[in-house]
Amino acid sequence: MQNRMSKKLRMSQDAKDGWILLAPLLVLTIVFLLYPVVSNFYYSLTKWKGLGEPQFIGLENYVKMFGDDRFYSSLKNLFVLVLYIPLGVFVPLLIASVLRGGMKGWKIYRALLYLPNILGPVILGTIFAVMLSQVGPITELLTRLGFEHASRFYLLGKSTSAINTLSFLFVVWMRVGFGCIYFLAAMSTIDASLYDAAKIDGTNAWQDFIHITIPGIKFSIQFFTVLAFIEVFARMYGMIFTLTGGGPGYATYTLEFGVYMLSFSAYQKGYASAWAVILFFFCAIIALVQIRLIKKEELS
Amino acid sequence: MNVNDRTTATPFGNHHMKERLRKRSLQSITYLLLSLFSLIIAYPIYYAIISSLKTTSDYTADKIGLPSSPTLENFSRVLTQMNMFSFLLNTLLVVGVSMVVYFLVCTAAGFAFGKLRFKGRLWIFTFVLFIQIFPQMVIAGQLYQLISKMNLLNTHIGLILVWVAYFAPFGTYIMTTYYSSIPKSLVESARIDGAGVFQQLTRIMIPIARPMIGTLGIIGALAMWHELPFSMLILQRQELRTLTLGIALMQGEFGLPTTVLTAAILVTSGVPLILYIIFQNYITMGSTAGSVKG
Repeated sequence: MQNRMSKKLRMSQDAKDGWILLAPLLVLTIVFLLYPVVSNFYYSLTKWKGLGEPQFIGLENYVKMFGDDRFYSSLKNLFVLVLYIPLGVFVPLLIASVLRGGMKGWKIYRALLYLPNILGPVILGTIFAVMLSQVGPITELLTRLGFEHASRFYLLGKSTSAINTLSFLFVVWMRVGFGCIYFLAAMSTIDASLYDAAKIDGTNAWQDFIHITIPGIKFSIQFFTVLAFIEVFARMYGMIFTLTGGGPGYATYTLEFGVYMLSFSAYQKGYASAWAVILFFFCAIIALVQIRLIKKEELS
Repeated sequence: MNVNDRTTATPFGNHHMKERLRKRSLQSITYLLLSLFSLIIAYPIYYAIISSLKTTSDYTADKIGLPSSPTLENFSRVLTQMNMFSFLLNTLLVVGVSMVVYFLVCTAAGFAFGKLRFKGRLWIFTFVLFIQIFPQMVIAGQLYQLISKMNLLNTHIGLILVWVAYFAPFGTYIMTTYYSSIPKSLVESARIDGAGVFQQLTRIMIPIARPMIGTLGIIGALAMWHELPFSMLILQRQELRTLTLGIALMQGEFGLPTTVLTAAILVTSGVPLILYIIFQNYITMGSTAGSVKG
């Protein structure tokens, strides 16, 4: 009886302390994140320039959106970006599995490979914009190598090459270093005796990769893939802004970039909110996948 | 941890030779590919360094080679004429204050989620995980209105609050996984000693989180240092700008020569690069916290 009483008492103490400790986080996230996300749904049904009273117009923004080339261009570009994700996962995974046994000088390579994470997307976008420009070093190199009209080889100047360049830089190039370090850390948790046993069985490196390494770090591979989706849907603004500005035309628009342009450049805040609602649903799906992954891992 | 250690003597000399040869060639290919890869990754920063040391005419004449007569003129121009110095001070101030608040918010919430059991805990934790992936753009439009209604537009405090709100959920997740691994008896014995929740936080939980300060610092400070959209919305007056914002707007605003732009880039990444060179080991390993599991 007394035991139960004290247990009940302890639980309520946990609750009291818990809410006090959570208060700062909850206040901040509810005010600055949840409220804007929720009110966004309402604004998507209004015509609103950001000043004065929003005017309720029902689903008009959505009708407009489904007839807007920029919207379809954004979806198509996101699709292209997603197509690069397998490469962005596989390349670091492969490098990490080759390096798994350790190698001399790895620290120097690691230092170089991780550099993009230190520099950040805004700096990288700015440098690449200069490097890939028509009067940049790449053009000069091609000219020196004897290509005539090298300035026509302007990767950011044509729609198809622009979105593919952006995708490669953002999804593969920028993430390789972090991916290697991430997967190496994950691989260090695999029991080394599994590889020794396989060696006795005479398996080759590829078989080890397929049958030991990949199943051994399944969670990390899934988690890294989800992170890549998050980056593509929700973290690309800085690089697009500095590298292409969404262009040429709308060739490198994504939903995220479009929301910004409509909202703060065209001052169509109501219409931008409709785009943001679509983006919300994409991100909600990604978030649910991630949460399921984390919960599954913690239960097992 | 060394590939070479694995070579063991076998009684079959021929087989041994062949095996060693294969291993050698595999190793050389690995080194070659890795070197090539590292060069490709490191080239942009190398390019920025050589360009920043060139004069405009030097750069126009040769965009690829080393500077023929290195000059620091671009850097002096960046620091004296272009507000970069005040951008740097703004960044250090905003990131510094944000990090202190961020650390306190994340430890407190991580303590609650990781060590205390109460109703609704799992739901709120799920909410936190859910909200942390949201793109800044879904929030930005309405956030701008909110911030201006609160009279926080063009204030560093506004940006600090928004940054902490946006980045704390992930930090909380990391702290939660950390605190779940320490024994609950610490909390219980502190309670028996009559320590309140704030004393538990300041005397036990924060000191115990010391190994995580680095990790949280790397993840949080890098994210803030690189942050663009919120700074762009909230800090519209030039004298308030951060480095990242300054550089992002520089391309269009000034129509600058590349040599000056690359110098500005190096000034912008200077602090992170120096810290990276000093704490390289720590930073690369710390960055995987909270998400690496077999």
